[in-house]
Amino acid sequence: MFKPFTLQARLGMAGALLAMLLLPAVTADPYVMHVMVLAMIFGIFASAWNLVTGFAGLKTFGHHAFFGLGAYGSALLAMHLGLSPWLTIWLGGLIAAAAGLLIGTPILRIRSMPHVAIVTLGFAEIVRICVANLSGLTRGEMGLWGIPQFEGLTLPYFGKVSFTPADKVSFYYLALALTVLMLFVIVRLMRSKTGLAMLAMRDGEDAAESLGVNLTRMKLMVFGLSAFIVGIAGAFYAHYLSILTPASAVGVDLMISIIAMVLVGGLGTISGPLVGAVVLTVLIEAMRDLENYRLLGYGALIVVIVMFLPKGLVTLRDRFFPRPQET
Amino acid sequence: MNLAIFLEQILNGLISGSMYALIGSGIALVYGTMRVLNLAHGEFYMLGGYFTFYLIVQFGLPFWAAIPLAVALAFLLGVLIQKLTIEYLIVRDNWVFTTIAATLGLSIVLQNAALLIFGERFNSVPYYVSGVMVLGDIRLPWQRVLIFVVALVTIAFMTWLLKYTRIGWSIRATSQDRDAAEVVGIPVRRVYMICFGLAAALGALAAAMLAPINAINPWAGIPILLKGFVVVILGGLGSFPGAIAGGLLLGVVEAVGVQLTSSEWRDVISFTLMIAVIWWRPWGLFGKK
Amino acid sequence: MATETPLIEVRNVDVVYGNYQVLWDVSMETQAGQITAVLGPNGSGKSTILKAIMGLTPVRAGKIILDGEDITNRPAHEMVARGMTMVLERRRLFTGMTVYENVMLGAYHPSVQKHARDRLEWVESLFPIIAERRDQIAGKMSGGEQQMVAIARALMSKPRLLLMDEPYLGLTPRIVQQIADIIRKVNGEGIAVIFNEQNVKLSFGISNHGYLLESGRVMLSGTGEEMMNSDVIRRVYLGE
Repeated sequence: MFKPFTLQARLGMAGALLAMLLLPAVTADPYVMHVMVLAMIFGIFASAWNLVTGFAGLKTFGHHAFFGLGAYGSALLAMHLGLSPWLTIWLGGLIAAAAGLLIGTPILRIRSMPHVAIVTLGFAEIVRICVANLSGLTRGEMGLWGIPQFEGLTLPYFGKVSFTPADKVSFYYLALALTVLMLFVIVRLMRSKTGLAMLAMRDGEDAAESLGVNLTRMKLMVFGLSAFIVGIAGAFYAHYLSILTPASAVGVDLMISIIAMVLVGGLGTISGPLVGAVVLTVLIEAMRDLENYRLLGYGALIVVIVMFLPKGLVTLRDRFFPRPQET
Repeated sequence: MNLAIFLEQILNGLISGSMYALIGSGIALVYGTMRVLNLAHGEFYMLGGYFTFYLIVQFGLPFWAAIPLAVALAFLLGVLIQKLTIEYLIVRDNWVFTTIAATLGLSIVLQNAALLIFGERFNSVPYYVSGVMVLGDIRLPWQRVLIFVVALVTIAFMTWLLKYTRIGWSIRATSQDRDAAEVVGIPVRRVYMICFGLAAALGALAAAMLAPINAINPWAGIPILLKGFVVVILGGLGSFPGAIAGGLLLGVVEAVGVQLTSSEWRDVISFTLMIAVIWWRPWGLFGKK
Repeated sequence: MATETPLIEVRNVDVVYGNYQVLWDVSMETQAGQITAVLGPNGSGKSTILKAIMGLTPVRAGKIILDGEDITNRPAHEMVARGMTMVLERRRLFTGMTVYENVMLGAYHPSVQKHARDRLEWVESLFPIIAERRDQIAGKMSGGEQQMVAIARALMSKPRLLLMDEPYLGLTPRIVQQIADIIRKVNGEGIAVIFNEQNVKLSFGISNHGYLLESGRVMLSGTGEEMMNSDVIRRVYLGE
């Protein structure tokens, strides 16, 4: 069950948040900011995938479709309808959520994990091919560039805040705000009746059914929420980088990275996906010269973690700082 | 469209279909016996292609020697991978998820290892037989006819193996009831190894036959895996005969479908078809509940 | 009871599934040619102990000794060569294969392959259905027919020891009687049998001695008569 956070956990979270808030004061180096923004985008993606795979126990492999739908959806709405990215990222999320509900319905009828894996991979491929082929709309493999960035704001105390490519720090704080918001939503969900039922479902479907829980509707809702969050991450990505390609936004490589991050951090934990995202993104950037080995590394990492450290890095913490036993 | 061209398309469809059948049957074999979905199956195809390429182009072997050798190498590779990873995972918790995740990771490792070792150049080998077979108004390159013949022979061989040999019986028994197989003395772990090796061999054979036609490159396995999925979904995930039927059907449907739409949408059509089948008949078009 | 070396000996065996211990310090033995019943209600562990003996379930502690040889935690597929085989709960035939293929698979192992033909004849004499329905797909047969095929398959390796997990489960009284007769006949040829069953009276119709398990522990053991007259059995089963 989802226990209330221990004092240790609260201190840890507060410490991490503080560190993140103060980082730009220590170094506003645009490169460092860029890496952290990416890490947070992937962190949001990873946490949302973990919601479905780790908490709801529904093992899917096609979430990169939602990232791409959110990214392209938001970008195209902003470009063709002249809407503000502040609005379109939510619309992008909604598009992704709709797709999530659409594909979620058949997936939930299927009990067999291999079938779900196949359907989700197939679905993501369909999305990728559509995005690549509808080049009239999306510019296809040539890439969609010139995506509008967030318009500037005027904040009390801070004054004018702009989001041009030179303002990495603004993006950093925006990403941080989104990350915190998303975490808040996920924790609230897991603490609610729905969340508890979900964990019961993950650990033993029959028991949950006997409690009179409408499993299918619940799983579908969670799936849709997860798709929504991933869509927003994708939309943010689009308006941050200002350029999208089918490979970067809907490619399997993206999903591989996310899987590696979640497994490394710890599937089915709250902090695991974020830890994994930060660790891997930073690690990869630190080893820039080894770009060629990046994917190879992710793949090997997945194999090694799944075989030898299936609960991820976060459980190592449990060995050094043992938590009080649950009854 | 005149009849000859239509028939030619159907025949071409059957030929591609026979290759799909070989590929899909490998996935079905492994899933049927071990209930493991091997996401690295496409890489057996990719590596089979590279083995063939190196044996023929670098070592100068004639194709009829290179191909069996490449297939044998793939068999050994399959056995090795099974022993090193799958065997370890399959007896532990959550094996359904961990085997899918591990084979996914393995797939990426193999693709990128191939990239690093072999480079990103697209390679091919010369045709094994030249010339065109002419039957009335129908023209088929002999290379393609050879592909079809080899596929048929292989399918016949596998069917004979499964129905009449000790190994075949042990494979079928293990896939139908693992405990009962153990109880009658079938060494189930060895059966798993053999199945994995066979699956790799079948994938490599398809690659070897297609080497003169399709480019050999590190990512060749990706579309192959996806194609293989469609095949086994049509035929029923664990069914060897289903995969054969599914493969042939897919080949013909694609050949006909390409006449109606352009080829860039071909995969969208087959994946949508696949998802529809999973929704309506998850046990496959030919399988039983 | 003669005090010779038992054919099979289970010594202080513990079995654990995940976090649950299902067998606690279980000990039992069977002499060659004996029929032993393992009794107990659902969840008593009577099925688990047979699986542990066969090697289908790992043993956490204790030893299992077959004819002097320690077979603890050896894989199940090695048992046929050692003269032990099992009829699994709910038959567990190869449902996609024919009766003939199922039965012949009983003689799959090289060590028992040699006299397969003779044994097929013997098995056909015990179960006429084997010859009659040779080419029928096993999955399409009734429960009772499947049970006959399952026993026939196990007998093909002419085992010294036959384990039977709930041989009567889900079968009509007439079939149950037929199977009891088969067990007697088979035992008459020198094959030891260990079977488990919930129904006490049914068990002691054919077995020489038995063990009573409750919640994973051996509560009682003895000859048929001793057990039928015991208060423990009366309490647990016969409601007296």
